[in-house]
Amino acid sequence: MELQHFEDYPVGRIVDCGTYRVGKDEILEFARQFDPQPHHLDEEAGKKSILGGLAASGWHVCAIAMRLFAEGVVLKADNKGGAGAREGRWIKPVRPDTLLRMEAEVVEAKPSQSKPFGFVTFECRIYNEHEQVAMVSMTPIIGRRA
Amino acid sequence: MSGGWFEDIEIGSRRELGAHIFTQDEIIAFAKKYDPQVFHIDPEGAKRSMFGGIIASGWHTAAVWMRLMVDARDKGASALSRGGVSPGFEDMRWLKPVRAGMTLSYSTEVIEKLDLKSRPELGLIKSRNEGRDENGELCFSFIGKGFVPKRPKGETA
Repeated sequence: MELQHFEDYPVGRIVDCGTYRVGKDEILEFARQFDPQPHHLDEEAGKKSILGGLAASGWHVCAIAMRLFAEGVVLKADNKGGAGAREGRWIKPVRPDTLLRMEAEVVEAKPSQSKPFGFVTFECRIYNEHEQVAMVSMTPIIGRRA
Repeated sequence: MSGGWFEDIEIGSRRELGAHIFTQDEIIAFAKKYDPQVFHIDPEGAKRSMFGGIIASGWHTAAVWMRLMVDARDKGASALSRGGVSPGFEDMRWLKPVRAGMTLSYSTEVIEKLDLKSRPELGLIKSRNEGRDENGELCFSFIGKGFVPKRPKGETA
């Protein structure tokens, strides 16, 4: 497969990054390992919290977003990674058995002045099954120029 | 825990959260699920990559921060809020590769407190969070945000 380059990501391009179904077992497993707060482990505790029910850890949603971003963009592009994320917003709780969908829109594309690379920033949007945005992140990568 | 209400949190208060060893097995297990780039999942391929060996996913280093934060809070650590729900983060930086076998030491420091007009029972706390290697060099940092309940009327601590 031919890898994509900086020039393949003009501002406004939207990459469909596919879907990911997150089950209750996976939500609990991630939370036990990394975020063992009651609202990520227990239905009743979730209901009492401002999440209104059991919900995935926000870091779990970030990890899923990374997986989808890898499949949609990173593994298909000749790039040097990104080294961070400008911001992430957890907007809606992610419930067990939600089929998440992600799209990554190019919001900035700047060629390097001195090197054969360019900086591309994606707004990654994760949607739940009701087409509500559950999470948004601003994620840069450094792509090699064609 | 006692305390930990929004009113109890002081800007500038800093807390060491403890350390974590990133083993190669743990790095690979996380990355196979969530960040399947060659330098996170394949020791041989990683040697030929720009990093020259296996390194942890940046999201893995962030998830470990969360774990240490929860543990510290559960131990009733002073200077930590009783919050738990966050609207997000800013300025996540992976500054140096976290290689297999490395130990990161984490910390959190309160940098800002904001009232929320829409939710008078809560405040928003911003924190600067860091992970440093054995030489004290900064490998990971971000600005965290957390909703923290205000002290209910009649509560004294």
